[in-house]
Amino acid sequence: MRKALLVALVVVLAGSLVSTAFPAPVEPLRIGVITSLTGRFATFGKMQMAGYQVALEEINRAGGIKGRPVELLVEDDASTVPAALSAAERLIAKGVPIILGTYSSGISKPLAGYMDRQKRVLLVSGSADDSITKPGSEWVFRAKSVASTYASTLFDLFQYLREQYPAIPLNTVAILHGTGAFETSVADGAVVYAKARKYQVVAREAYDRGLTDFRPILNRIRGLNPDILFMVSYEEDAVAIMRQAKEVNINPKIFAGAAAGFAIEPFIKGAGDAAEWVFSATSWTPDVKYPGARQLYEKLKKAAGMEPSYHAAEAYMALIVAADALRRAKSLSQEDVRDSLKATKLMTPVGPVEFKDFLGFKNQNPIPMVVEQVQGGKFVTVFPASIAPGKPKYPTPPWDKR
Amino acid sequence: MRDRLKTLAWLGAVLVAFTLYPWAFPTKLNLGVVIVLFAGMATAWDVLGGWAGQLSLGHAALVGIGGYTLALLSLRAGVPPWWGLLAGMALTGAVAAVWGWIVFRLRGPYFVLSTIAVAEILRLVAINWKDLTGGAEGLFLRELPRPFGLDLFNRTVEFYLVLAYLGVALLVAWWLSWSRFGYSLQAIREDQDSAMAMGINPTRTKILAFMVSAALTAMGGSLYAIYLSFFEPHIVLDIGLSVELALIAYIGGAGTVFGPTIGAVVLLAAGDLFRNYFQQANLLIYGILIILVVRFAPEGMVGGWHALVRRLVRPAPGVPVEVRGERP
Amino acid sequence: MTTFLQVLMTGILTGGVYALVGIGLSLIFGVMRIVNFAHGEFVALGMYASLLLFQSLGIDPYLAIPLITVGGIALGAVVERGFIAPIIAAPEHVSILMTVGVGLVISNLLLFGFGAHPQSIFTWYSTKTVRVAGVTFSGPLSVSFLITLAVILGLYWVLTRTEIGRAMRATAQNRDAAELQGINTGVARMLAFGIGVALAAVSGTLLLPVLYVIPTIGGVFTLKAFVVTVLGGMGNVLGAIGGGLILGVTESLGAAYISSGYRDAFGLIAFLAVLLLRPAGLFGKSRV
Repeated sequence: MRKALLVALVVVLAGSLVSTAFPAPVEPLRIGVITSLTGRFATFGKMQMAGYQVALEEINRAGGIKGRPVELLVEDDASTVPAALSAAERLIAKGVPIILGTYSSGISKPLAGYMDRQKRVLLVSGSADDSITKPGSEWVFRAKSVASTYASTLFDLFQYLREQYPAIPLNTVAILHGTGAFETSVADGAVVYAKARKYQVVAREAYDRGLTDFRPILNRIRGLNPDILFMVSYEEDAVAIMRQAKEVNINPKIFAGAAAGFAIEPFIKGAGDAAEWVFSATSWTPDVKYPGARQLYEKLKKAAGMEPSYHAAEAYMALIVAADALRRAKSLSQEDVRDSLKATKLMTPVGPVEFKDFLGFKNQNPIPMVVEQVQGGKFVTVFPASIAPGKPKYPTPPWDKR
Repeated sequence: MRDRLKTLAWLGAVLVAFTLYPWAFPTKLNLGVVIVLFAGMATAWDVLGGWAGQLSLGHAALVGIGGYTLALLSLRAGVPPWWGLLAGMALTGAVAAVWGWIVFRLRGPYFVLSTIAVAEILRLVAINWKDLTGGAEGLFLRELPRPFGLDLFNRTVEFYLVLAYLGVALLVAWWLSWSRFGYSLQAIREDQDSAMAMGINPTRTKILAFMVSAALTAMGGSLYAIYLSFFEPHIVLDIGLSVELALIAYIGGAGTVFGPTIGAVVLLAAGDLFRNYFQQANLLIYGILIILVVRFAPEGMVGGWHALVRRLVRPAPGVPVEVRGERP
Repeated sequence: MTTFLQVLMTGILTGGVYALVGIGLSLIFGVMRIVNFAHGEFVALGMYASLLLFQSLGIDPYLAIPLITVGGIALGAVVERGFIAPIIAAPEHVSILMTVGVGLVISNLLLFGFGAHPQSIFTWYSTKTVRVAGVTFSGPLSVSFLITLAVILGLYWVLTRTEIGRAMRATAQNRDAAELQGINTGVARMLAFGIGVALAAVSGTLLLPVLYVIPTIGGVFTLKAFVVTVLGGMGNVLGAIGGGLILGVTESLGAAYISSGYRDAFGLIAFLAVLLLRPAGLFGKSRV
């Protein structure tokens, strides 16, 4: 009996010595992510995940947050609202200090409403609709650009071209947009800027999703002879619009695309020669002059396994911002996380980040957009001059003279 | 009479069981609200689709009218949501009356096609008539008055609200199961000509069924709007929602009191449970299930359950097989 | 004036393709009394099949038409035997639900197989235009229209001049009487469904060069097919041509001159108006 007790004592002593030699593993910090892994928006969810992956590696290579490695708790919203809300409920129950989400504005809106009522911090990583942060809430933050910036950036471009080429009249705008929430809000913004900067809006046409034939509308717009054709469309429609614009022989001086549809690779592939000369506003391009932009592009391309869209960059930025805020936060309580986010002042390869309240927006980063143009079958970033390596080609020659 | 009371007792039991849900699953309240709400709306659909046999694939229109009425009255005119809800029910009842009068005169697939067309037109109106409906951007219910100090956006409060709604829907279905009106609906469903011969006016009866179904659906629609708080036309007026309600009711068991509820519980809970494996296969599974149900078990899960029970409950031994008239 | 002509021409050309989409549905309803709620999904299948043939084997969509036709008939026959025939005697809402289910299965399998992102093909003629008297219209759409005419004429020939065509028409008029005459109505129905599916698939092939495809596009086509069929008269195969043209022109003019946001609504309103005022269709009899 006494021998057994002695052995037990030795074991316990040895065990405690061993455990002080190897300290207990550090509890990882889990950040919540809601994205569309399945459903209609799966392709964008995949892009977001690529961005998150790249950011995660970077954060953990730099030592994590306050010595703790970072992990992502990813939930699928299946491209539907009920699943997104359930996902948020689950993540909150798991006690994550912050949630990043999701691509579609139609889902982010109810999600933001829910997070606000629950008094939990949400960092919107993929949705552009103005109304998410306008009027917004003290708990909802967004680092990426808003829908109305599409319009303001393009009208800044028009102003620049007006000044550079005073001999060419640039006064009339025709607006063509999808009836979705996002497209409509960008179009609304365009109307506001047009009036403010003294352009005449000669037409404003909306089309519904689905089997879309733009010829009737384009024909009618052609008759009005606008200087600028301002288009707000998703990918599927952007390709069709440009193809049919060529067919219908509509020749404005500027083709301006103000939505995702015009700014991604498949647009050039799908529209072929009809894509040439088209300007489009977008949040980020690989050759924009922010520190580390090119390297980020390479990493995102590897992570996504294909040409990355700007959604990947936006997701990357969101996670970097979240990590930065958590590092500075006094504690992981929601109030402290919120206050830390509010105090953010960061430069990333995707652009500068600060959360401000302005023009009715709350906790919104006033990040500018860039304009790229299809030149020689490739995207070239052309505006604004301070961060764009290329130059805009103008005016657009008519179809039969190309 | 006894059957009637037995069903009522079951109804009460089901509702009591549901009241325990927020206590049992406090972290799955979002799911709970959706299950109970869809159970109610599927039951409402069933009044027309299962009991009267008139297949509607446009019920999302009624959900939408209910939701938009409550939201617009609240946002534009400060009308409290309980009046908004009643207004929505009244409006959809009127819409159903007119719509039914136009279409129920026709036989054949025309009613179904018309439901799809009307729902689509309503969706287009909601998107394009921005001044009235807020357009594609949708509406945001920021604040709502607090009846008895209750926060209407609190998920637990919402759960009990939709549970009350399900109770109303189930009571209507229960009433159909023994009332003369319910029998006329079933008669029309089975054989419209014979029903006419019995003195039933099919057009008028179908219109009444449609009005009841519509008002009940709109009630759910109003509650859905509160749950979402921020909704767009393509969420509440989408044909996918119409198809989902019809399938839930049918797979659960159309024309029965509890069928749609069972359908909602099983399909939506399973969808959430297996989300890591099935993900978006939800719709694929609905499709496969409806094919199987239509082909092999037209009475849905309820019918399947009854068949199972019948097979399990063997008569006492010693009774000759021939007397029962069944093959061994 | 040129704008008006352009809008009108586009409407006519698109209407021709709509007619092809709707004719299959009308044929199926006429012979089998089934409203095929999966019809649009078969159009989508045709589009994806052509997409696959183009991307992996480089086969041009127009050249793929014979292959798609044969495939369509075969697929339709299988679906009919497997899913429709067993419930032929059931009340009509059963067949509606069955075809809704089939449609859901097809569109979701397409989603799994091809992904949710829109896809389109770019051929040497995709952006070619035809210019006649100052009016420009789409090259591929014009070719599609001509092929549609040829297909419809071919269908008409089959229905009136061949044994099986007569069998289908007899089954459509009165199934019992046809049986008594010794016609195998089961085969007639199977072929009718097969041809209907093939017509849908071919219209998809014709649309691929001018449109994009996503798995959910089926629903849009199903609705268009309904409108065409009701306008032309359910079961009236030739009427579907008129129905298609009316739909195409109504949409085109409505979108150009009234409101493009409501473009789809014009066809739906015409649809409801016909249901209300002349349910047998604008071009003659059907059985109500």
